[in-house]
Amino acid sequence: MPFISKIQRQTDYDLFPSSTPIVIDNGASYFRIGWAGENEPRVVFRNIVQRPRHKATGETVTIVGDHDPALLRYFDCTRSGPRSAFDSNVVFQFEIMEYILDFAFDRLGANGSRIDHPVLITECVCNPVQSRSKMAELLFETYGVPSVAFGVDAAFSYKYNQQHGICDKDGLAICPGFTTTHVIPFVDGEPVYKGCCRTNIGGYHVTDHLKQLLSLKYPHHMARFTWEKVEDLKMEHCYVALDYALEAQLFQKGGKEAEDKSRCWQLPWVPPPMEEPPSEEEIARKAAIRERQGQRLREMAEAKRSSRINELENQLHGLEFLLQQLEQVQQEEIQSFLSETGYVSKQEIESTLMKVSQSLRKAKGEPKAEQAENEEKADSSTSEKYPLVNVPDNVLTPEQLKEKKRQVFLKTTTEGRQRAKQKRFEEELEREKKNQQDEERRLENPELYLDQMHSKYKELYEKVEQRKRLKTNGGHANGNNLSGGVGRGERLNAAQRERMRLLTTAAFDRGKGEDTFGAKDEDWQLYKLMSKDNDDDDDGADVDEAELARVCARLQEIDPTFVPKPELTAAQPATAEAPRARPLTKEDFQIVLGVERFRCPEILFHPNLVGIDQAGFDEMTGVSIRRLPSKDGALEDRLTSSVFMTGGCCLFPGISERLEAGIRMLRPCGSPIKVVRALDPVRDAWRGASVYAANLQFPQQTFSRADYYEKGEDWLRRYQLRYTL
Amino acid sequence: MEPEVIKVELVLPTHMSFKRIQIYEKYPKGQSKVRWKQLKQILQAENYHNYPPDEANYVNIESPPSMHPCKKICDITGFEAPYHDPRTNLRYANADVFKLVRSLPNEHVQRYLALRKAAVVLK
Repeated sequence: MPFISKIQRQTDYDLFPSSTPIVIDNGASYFRIGWAGENEPRVVFRNIVQRPRHKATGETVTIVGDHDPALLRYFDCTRSGPRSAFDSNVVFQFEIMEYILDFAFDRLGANGSRIDHPVLITECVCNPVQSRSKMAELLFETYGVPSVAFGVDAAFSYKYNQQHGICDKDGLAICPGFTTTHVIPFVDGEPVYKGCCRTNIGGYHVTDHLKQLLSLKYPHHMARFTWEKVEDLKMEHCYVALDYALEAQLFQKGGKEAEDKSRCWQLPWVPPPMEEPPSEEEIARKAAIRERQGQRLREMAEAKRSSRINELENQLHGLEFLLQQLEQVQQEEIQSFLSETGYVSKQEIESTLMKVSQSLRKAKGEPKAEQAENEEKADSSTSEKYPLVNVPDNVLTPEQLKEKKRQVFLKTTTEGRQRAKQKRFEEELEREKKNQQDEERRLENPELYLDQMHSKYKELYEKVEQRKRLKTNGGHANGNNLSGGVGRGERLNAAQRERMRLLTTAAFDRGKGEDTFGAKDEDWQLYKLMSKDNDDDDDGADVDEAELARVCARLQEIDPTFVPKPELTAAQPATAEAPRARPLTKEDFQIVLGVERFRCPEILFHPNLVGIDQAGFDEMTGVSIRRLPSKDGALEDRLTSSVFMTGGCCLFPGISERLEAGIRMLRPCGSPIKVVRALDPVRDAWRGASVYAANLQFPQQTFSRADYYEKGEDWLRRYQLRYTL
Repeated sequence: MEPEVIKVELVLPTHMSFKRIQIYEKYPKGQSKVRWKQLKQILQAENYHNYPPDEANYVNIESPPSMHPCKKICDITGFEAPYHDPRTNLRYANADVFKLVRSLPNEHVQRYLALRKAAVVLK
C-alpha cells in the first residue's frame, strides 16, 4: 500500500517550546499530525475508529487507525465495523473525533496536563458553523489548547505549490478528496469561496464502485475484495481514459491491445490432487465388506422370521387345545370356562385361530395363490360368511346386531377390494390392448410410428409440465420472472386464485342492494365452485400423466437413443450447477481487470454513472469560473492557465490530459490552458499547513478560548484565514 | 491482553494525562448514547436562508446537475450501451450481454442497478 501509516510514538515532544504550533490535516481518509515548520507529519494513520470486544476478557476496547490485521484476531470485530467521524466531508461524530485526537496527541508524545501548543487543523470548504464550533470547543475544553486556527486543506496545498512555482497566484485548484471534490478559484493567492463548487464524489466512490463491480463479476471470490485490497488495486491499476468511448470500443473489439491493457490478479490456487482410480484390491475389499454386511442382515431377518413362526405356532397349538377342551366342557359351563381364557365366544376363538393360521402361512412364505384361493373361497361363500347381513334388525338380539354391523363392514370392504382388483385387471387389459395396437402400427411403418410417438411424447410432456407450472406458479410461467416482485397473487395457483376471487366478489355483492341470492337454482352452484377440493382438471391430469408414463416406457423400449426429459424443477439447478461440476482450474482464480481499470475513475468525470446527478471534474471548472463575481476575460484566462490538481485521486495516470481536454471544450477557442499536478498530491496539504503555521504572522490568524466565547457564533461562522501572510 | 497487542499499544488507553476531561467522564458507560446530528440535520439547523445568497455556504457551493447528456454504458461490461432491457431495466451492449442479463438472478440485477442508484428500494 503506498500510504503507510506512521504510528510510532514520538519522544521529542518536550523539546518543542509551547509557541510551536501543532499542525493537523484532518482528512476524511487520513489523519496527519506533526510540528509546524517540519517537512513531514510525525504521525499518519487512517481516520477510523474500531470498537471491538476483546475475546479473552470480553471488554470493549477502542482501536484507532489501521493496524496489522493479524493482531485483530484477538478481537471480535463482527459487531462493529470501522467508524469514521465524518458524514461526507464534515465532522459530525465528536466522540469518535475525540478518540482520534487522543490517539494522535498520544503518539505525538504529548504529556503534561494539557496540550500547550497552538493548533492548526484543516476543515472542509464552508464548514457548517456547528461542526466548527464543536471542534473548537473540543480542542479548548478537553485538551486545553491555547489557540486554534482552521484552514482548508486544498488551499494549503495550493499555497505550498505556489511557493514552489508550480502554480500562479491566480488559478483554479481542483481537489478530489475522499468523499467530495472541490474546485476553488484563487485570485491574488486567496481562495474565492463564492466561486467554489463541490461535487459529492471522490476516491471513496471510485474504490467502492470497483469493489462492487468486481464482487459482481466474481461472486465466488467476494471475500477477497476487502476494502484495503481494492484500494490497492485501484491505486495500482486504474487510469483515466482520454476518450472513454474509444477506449471501451478497443476492449469490445478485443485483440492484442486490449489484452495488453488488461491486468490479471492471480489468486492463490493449488491444483486439486489427482484422484486415482481405486485399485483391484480396494474394490475386492469393499465388495467383501458389503457381502458380509448383506449376510448379517439376511441372518438377522431369518432369525426374526423363525422366532415369529415359533411364536405363531405356539399360539396356534394353544388355541387348538382350547377348542378341544371346549368341546369336552358342558354347554352350561361354557360361560364360566371362557371367562377364564378371556374370549367371549367359541366363534371368536375360531376366528382368532383362522387369523393366526393365516399369518403363520404368510410367515412361512407359502404361496400367495393359496391365500388368494382362500379369499375366492371365502367370497364364494359370502352368504355363509355373513349370515346376518340379510336378516332384518328387529329379529336380532343386541349382540347379534353388533355382529351384524361387523359383518356388513367386512362385506363392504371385501367387495371394495374386489372391485379395485377388477378395475386394475381391466386397466391392465386396456393397456395391453393399446400396446398391441401400437405394436401392430409399429410393424406397419416403424419410422412413422417412432416419429408419432416422439411428437406425442413431446406434446404430453408439455401439457403435463404446463399444468404443473400453473399449479405451483400461477399464471406467470415465463420461467424467468426477474423484475417482478413476489406479490400475494403470484403465490397462489390458478384454482386457488379463482376461489379467492369468487369469495371476495360474493362477499362484496351480497352486501349491497336487494339480496336475490338463491332465487335461481344456479346460484347454489357457486358453493360447489368455492369448495376447497374443487379441482376439476385433476382427473384430466392423472390421465395425461398415466399416458405420458406409458408413452415414455414404450419409447424406451423401442428407441435406444431416447432419454426421457428430466423434471422441469430438476432441470434448472442442473444447468446452474453444470459449470461447478467441472474441476476448478487456474483461470477460475484469476481476477481480470479490463474495462474496470478506466470505468471506475470515469465516475469522477461523469458522476451520473453512479447515480450522482452533478457536474463532473471538467464541467466543474466551467461552473466555478461562471460563479466568479467579476466577469473578466483576462482573469479567466489567467485562471485556466494555472489549473492545479491536488488530492489522492489526481494520481490516476491520464487525468491531467483528460482534464485539459475537458476544459478546452468549455473555453473559447485559443484560450491558454495549463493543467499541473501538485508536487505530492497526498501530502502537500499538510506541508502547506506546516509552512503556514511556521510563519511569524500565524498567531494573528488564530483565536483563543476567550475569543471563542466572547465573539459568538456569528463571528465564528465568518471566520476565515488569510492564506497570504 | 496478549503481549504482542500490548507491545504495539493497539488499544487506546482510556486515561490521558493531557486531557482536562477524560472520555469516560464525558460519555459514561451505560448512559444513553449522544445522538450526533447527521450532516443533513446540521445543514437544516444552519438556517442558510437567513443569510445573503451571495455569501458562500456549504449548501450553495454544491455543483449543479451536469449539462452533458447522460452517458449510457452497459451495466455489466462498461461498453457503450445502445439497448435497454425493459424487464430488468439494465442497459446492455450486445446480444451476448443480453443473454447474461436474462440469466442473472434478481439479487444481482438489483445490485447492478444499485450501482447507479436505480434499484428498487423498499422502505
